[in-house]
Amino acid sequence: MVTFYRRLPKMGYVKPGSLEEALELLEKNPNGRYRVYAGGTDVIPKLKGRVIQSPEILVDLKGVSDLDHIDFDEQKGLYIGALATVRSVETSPVIKERYPILSQAAGSIASIQVRNRGTITGNICNAVPSADSAPALLCLDARVLLYSKNGGERTVDITDFFKGPGLTVLQPNEILREINISASPENSRSVYIKLSPRSRMDLAVVGVGVLLTKTNGTFRNVRIGLGAVAPTPIRALKAEAMLEGSEVNDDLIINAARTASEESRPIDDHRASAEYRKMMVEVLVKRAIHQCL
Amino acid sequence: MEEYSVIGKRIPRVDGRVKVTGEARYAADYSMPGMLWCKMLRSPYPHARIVSIDTSRAEKLPGVKGVLTGKDFNGWTWGWMPKTRDEPPLAVDKVRYLAEAVAAVAAIDEDTAEEATELIKVEYEELPGVFDPEEAMKEGAPRVHDYVKNNLSWDFHMDFGDVDKGFGEADLVREDRFETGRVITGYLEPPAAVALWDSGGITIWAAKQSPYFVYRHLAACFNLPLNKVRIIQPFIGAGFGGTKNDSLAGDFCSVLFSKRTGRPVKFVYNMHEVLMTCRRRHNMIIHNKMGMKKDGIITAMQSKVIADGGAYTAIGPLTMYLTGSISTLPYKLPHFRHDAYRIFTNNPIGAAMRGHGVTHTRFAAEIQMEMMAEELGIDPIEVRLKNAITAPYETINKVTVHTCGLKEGLKTLSENPKWKKRSGGSPPEGPLSHGVGISGTAYLGGARQRGHQSCGAVVRLCEDGTIDYLTGATDCGQGSDTVLVQIVAEELGLGVEDVDIKRVDTAVTPCDAGSYGSRVTVLAGGAARNAARDVKRQLAEVAARNWEVDPGDIIFKDQRVYVKGEPEKAMPFRKLAQVACYAGSGAVIIGRGYSQYGIEELDFDKGIGNAGTSYSFTSQLTEVDVDLETGFVKCTDMVIAHDCGRPLNPINVEAQNQGGAIQGMGQAMYERFAMDLGKTLNANLADYKMPLSTDVPNIELIDIITDDPNGPYGAKEASEGSTVSSPPSVVSAIHDATGIWFKEQPVTPEKIVMALKKKRE
Repeated sequence: MVTFYRRLPKMGYVKPGSLEEALELLEKNPNGRYRVYAGGTDVIPKLKGRVIQSPEILVDLKGVSDLDHIDFDEQKGLYIGALATVRSVETSPVIKERYPILSQAAGSIASIQVRNRGTITGNICNAVPSADSAPALLCLDARVLLYSKNGGERTVDITDFFKGPGLTVLQPNEILREINISASPENSRSVYIKLSPRSRMDLAVVGVGVLLTKTNGTFRNVRIGLGAVAPTPIRALKAEAMLEGSEVNDDLIINAARTASEESRPIDDHRASAEYRKMMVEVLVKRAIHQCL
Repeated sequence: MEEYSVIGKRIPRVDGRVKVTGEARYAADYSMPGMLWCKMLRSPYPHARIVSIDTSRAEKLPGVKGVLTGKDFNGWTWGWMPKTRDEPPLAVDKVRYLAEAVAAVAAIDEDTAEEATELIKVEYEELPGVFDPEEAMKEGAPRVHDYVKNNLSWDFHMDFGDVDKGFGEADLVREDRFETGRVITGYLEPPAAVALWDSGGITIWAAKQSPYFVYRHLAACFNLPLNKVRIIQPFIGAGFGGTKNDSLAGDFCSVLFSKRTGRPVKFVYNMHEVLMTCRRRHNMIIHNKMGMKKDGIITAMQSKVIADGGAYTAIGPLTMYLTGSISTLPYKLPHFRHDAYRIFTNNPIGAAMRGHGVTHTRFAAEIQMEMMAEELGIDPIEVRLKNAITAPYETINKVTVHTCGLKEGLKTLSENPKWKKRSGGSPPEGPLSHGVGISGTAYLGGARQRGHQSCGAVVRLCEDGTIDYLTGATDCGQGSDTVLVQIVAEELGLGVEDVDIKRVDTAVTPCDAGSYGSRVTVLAGGAARNAARDVKRQLAEVAARNWEVDPGDIIFKDQRVYVKGEPEKAMPFRKLAQVACYAGSGAVIIGRGYSQYGIEELDFDKGIGNAGTSYSFTSQLTEVDVDLETGFVKCTDMVIAHDCGRPLNPINVEAQNQGGAIQGMGQAMYERFAMDLGKTLNANLADYKMPLSTDVPNIELIDIITDDPNGPYGAKEASEGSTVSSPPSVVSAIHDATGIWFKEQPVTPEKIVMALKKKRE
């Protein structure tokens, strides 16, 4: 059967007015027959392309008020609500100032029109290995707050959130309510570098995020996040460990970049070969570290 | 030189406003009461025998009004030449490419039609497929068409002079293998139509860039006289050749459904369907051999071309013809041999596309010539100037060139500061390496095909002095409507606002071959001018009688008519129109004209003669920055010196040159269909990488005016020329930046990184 992009399949549609209402609905969702969406920039094309099975009911979160917040508090850090658009994260003054890597990663996603529609939480719940916000969130030690009915709440580190291509720890009765990021370490610097065939509005072939602090000539708080080079976005933990606490020097950076490349587990596909992707991890990690110095 | 009032002016497009405001209606915008939707069932295999088809469940689905299979067309097939009619509207006994249409459903809405296609049960016997043309040529390869040995769809041979002698005279001979990619044509408007069959015959509102091809196909398929086939052309959202110069399954099925149900029937292909199933540029392998003297003079060239034709022949014979017959331009070739093979495979069909045929072999010859010049220590522009033709010129295969601005273009570029600051291989600073490349190419305009070439125009004078202009030519986005209106206005001394162009309606407009081979301005433009002059002649006679002067002394200018040297004898054009129309028992002023350019003999079998009416020449300088670590190429600047004879509308010429160059750049750097056993892996516009606005370089355009005698007001073609000049120019620039010659398109970052790695090792 060859099936092309079509109109949406016939299915139910509910637009709850509150988070409680939405969570109540999801309690009847043990088999994942209901599907939650926010901007819809991933789910709707997948449904039209018949890439995923159509749900019994599509639950539109856009009716929930007070979920598009971007709040910052010196103690608690940053909170990004489930309905905060990619564009609002990209352009938020506090994010630009305190978490520039996230603003930069958000700004590299698709086009302005799509960024005005899509959400950051949607970008990670969609869980493609190439999600641009993921390496940034990995570098920032982000936590995701998952809610379920009757005050059910759990916090998951972003490093534990992704389970595989398109898979996360999110349960059928849960909604990712917000993303929380602690205040960044003092004097930290960070960058996200995305490699794609075209200069803008393209999918990452490799995405690299680096965050670090240079203290008295040594590397501190090193985080290296990699996108599109493993079944999920990953941290290059061995490379981070090599750098952490060591004196800054070029040979070490080269070795760390090579180690990050060895930690990556890319595949061959029509976008790029695994070999090229591994080579590019090395190039981009090296560049990103230098840019943070 | 004559001073024009409208020609040569920067006049905005006559169709601009309605397109920008959304008023313009495209085929998919049409809808009628009682209309049915037609949807295709497509094959899940690239090569399989159809054992049986059971449509009974689909027919029973409520809302379904009809189901068709291949047998409903009674063995009718179509093709570009009588002996290549190998394509059926729906597959009959065999499917030959993945997602070939096998059955069709008409239903009351799209969802029902799609649901019904899923209820059709087709039993297939899967056959071994063949996907590589070089494999397909071998003995024992699976046959795509049972009656065709070695899967040879079409071959074309040229042999002029004595290539062995030429190679013997050379100081340097090179042989290289080049490859050009599988490229999307790139229109944004998908194929669509609404068809209606009634006692008047067929009426179809269809998205076509050559409506008169479909007119003949439908008449033949349904055995109707031509005056019972009416194609009405809506606005067209680009074509670029191939699919929209041809018919497709949806056309035939919609018409037959309408015949059976008495209701209008509509289809719209979506982009995914387009990218999986529609015609695309041929992928070609070119084995090129060139001989050169120490001083850079080319002594001979021999090319062997192997093209992946896909499952059917389509317009492939012309593609093959163009790969060779235009190879003798724009550089002197005393000896030339060309062997071209179009091979059937179980891939989607290769067909025409902007730069048709020529882009492949010109890329190979340009790059090889520059490689040899480099070996001999000759500057890339110098080697081109040494070999470039000058007009008038007749090639060894009797292609005749009356005007040629190539040398002037190349000299202009050689003076450009961008060329002068060329590094010539000096080491880069940091990972970024700058490169400057060059090319000098030719393309035909006013293309002629075998068969019916007619191209006419009718200019009707309305009694208020306004003009109805009827043309069979199709503006598929290139801006030809504006240029044609300018021509009519110029001849009658009117403004473009006084002339209304009537788009193709085969019941009303004169026959024309449509938009391909850069033929509209040259040929339909010639017809328009002749028809306008016919009106002018009739009006001049009226005016001359009125003033008792010679008709030859009547001047039409600035919406007025007056007698040469007697300015007091003058009246508004509108007044003369009234006088002429109200005279006697009611005169009707209608002008008619047809194109008389390019009617010499053409030997299609031997490759002798002019496939075009005139030839454009394009010299292109390209600048790139290559990131040597990632292989990422940013094309920063282009300078294009283009000889289109004379630009009739400079805005259009600029836009066409820019568009052609960007499309060529996409082909050189980004674009390719990724294929796996006949399956297109990137059949979406996120994974198929066309250049985006953010990838576009600064483009400077320089007009080289040559005023060709075989075109209206000296005009030749614009746009296909820069599609041809762009890939070699870009690849030449990448070579300048990396020191590596890339012989396969597209030159992706990965290829660059791997080649640099290999060079280091």
